[in-house]
Amino acid sequence: MPEPKLNEPILEIRGLRKAFGALVATDDVSLDLRPGEIHALIGPNGAGKSTLIKQIVGEIRPNSGSIRFEGQVIDGLDAAARARLGLARSFQVSSVIPDFTVLQNVMLAVAGASGAVFRFHRPALSDRKLTEPALFHIEQAGLADRHLVQAAKLSHGERRKLEIAMALALRPRAFLLDEPMAGMGLEGGRQLTSILSELRNEAPILLVEHDMDAVFALADRISVLVYGRIIATGSVAEIRANPEVRRSYLGEDA
Amino acid sequence: MGELLNRDAIINLVIFALLVAVALGAHLAGDGFTVTLATKAAIFGLAGVGLNLALGYGGLISFGHAAFFGIGGYVTGILASHASSGMPVVTLPFTIMGSNEMLGIWPVAMLAGGVAALAIGALSLRTSGVYFIMVTLAFAQMLYYFAISWSRYGGEDGLSFYVRNTFPGLNTFAPIQYFAICAVLLALALVFTAVVTQSRFGLALQAARQNSQRAVAVGIRPYAIRLTAFVLSGMIVGLAGSLYADLNRFVSPAMLSWHMSGEIMVFVILGGVGRLCGPVAGAAIYILLEHVLGGISDYWQALLGLLLLGIVLFAPGGLIGIVTRRGRHA
Repeated sequence: MPEPKLNEPILEIRGLRKAFGALVATDDVSLDLRPGEIHALIGPNGAGKSTLIKQIVGEIRPNSGSIRFEGQVIDGLDAAARARLGLARSFQVSSVIPDFTVLQNVMLAVAGASGAVFRFHRPALSDRKLTEPALFHIEQAGLADRHLVQAAKLSHGERRKLEIAMALALRPRAFLLDEPMAGMGLEGGRQLTSILSELRNEAPILLVEHDMDAVFALADRISVLVYGRIIATGSVAEIRANPEVRRSYLGEDA
Repeated sequence: MGELLNRDAIINLVIFALLVAVALGAHLAGDGFTVTLATKAAIFGLAGVGLNLALGYGGLISFGHAAFFGIGGYVTGILASHASSGMPVVTLPFTIMGSNEMLGIWPVAMLAGGVAALAIGALSLRTSGVYFIMVTLAFAQMLYYFAISWSRYGGEDGLSFYVRNTFPGLNTFAPIQYFAICAVLLALALVFTAVVTQSRFGLALQAARQNSQRAVAVGIRPYAIRLTAFVLSGMIVGLAGSLYADLNRFVSPAMLSWHMSGEIMVFVILGGVGRLCGPVAGAAIYILLEHVLGGISDYWQALLGLLLLGIVLFAPGGLIGIVTRRGRHA
């Protein structure tokens, strides 16, 4: 893998457009994710944030535009291939394997990232190439001691942490976190905020988030998406001061 | 979890031991008919174990597994009938002679089942839900009608062969010896399933069943995983079809019909979806009911229907789920 030059964006989105019939959900979106940064994507409901995320991870295809990941054009790759390159995603609604234990969930991610899932005979649970990294990432995400609990029995906050452990297991080069704070209590949100601020040491984060306190606390840059268009990108102070942003989005929040 | 796993293992052993005990007991009592029934249960159980890999562990609700069962049966019938007539099966592009050696027939039956599963799976796995059920059903019905019209091998009347195929060192005509062959193959299939479902592949297969989007997000392609499971499933069911043909020394289009697909599915659901020995228990219960209730009334399947309804509504873990008091297996 070619090492990207310093400050060259990890993720580079250019002129992305996606229409569903007459509805233009993504309208000429260009966006960068630079090494080491947390780049927040905010916008009102229906602005097209989720549609944009789905195009980045490869779940839906844009009508036009292009995405580069670490300098490589990934437009032709499917979602599984993009994940293996280290594009790690968490979901708006927690998405884990409910019947698996925490450990099995993270082992799955380790196996998936390795690309070697067609192994038929060795018991996965005694495969230290899976269990050791999995336990390491479970601890990293703050779930140590919970690794034998079935995922369905985790609290909402713990499930969020499990998702982060699974994202870490992909040896991520970039995180795409879709509303990780959603439904977290005050305390849970505070914990997660501190976990996210550590995550940036692993890889830059594109953060879709409604919780403005978290966004203003964490983000280095913010992009504002309204009706599928990015109306502003800038530092926290710039976005807070931007009159158009205040009018169209922050009005009641700021 | 370890404790429960052990409990599952004990139940699996008990079910298998019961089947063997029934066959042995009947043999010692000189009751060849019951030995044959136990053999039928072992064969149906094997077919159920095969389907369970796709349906139970993979969540692939195939309503067309009779295709693989029938293909295994026809491979056996065709090879055996050519072996007794001495005519080659085909002469072009090269000559293939018939065979009456089980050790030669089984790999061909499994290969044929696997190739058919590859073709059917490659197309039907592009759909999901009700469409998947319907597409698999349609493929099996196509083969069913093909077999009906295939007059060279008996068409609607089916194909009889008079001598059971042979196995080195055994007298396959002795019911208990043929039972032993079937039971050993069933045990091998169970071990195979246990190993595969606990492997990395098994982890990916079960993950794709429960949350396919999540599997993709960690770099796994569900289609390839499911297709592989479908092919393995087709191979096991093909082997079961071969054994069933040899049990009856007869194959007919009925082996390919949707009734057969439904029956195999019933074994899995009765015993417990995604449970290692569930299909074996299910097949045994099915045959027990068929002969106990079938002796009382021709409408025994109405009672079977009630039982099935009760299981689906109140015990989705099947009979094994009732014993372990647990929902479905992870």
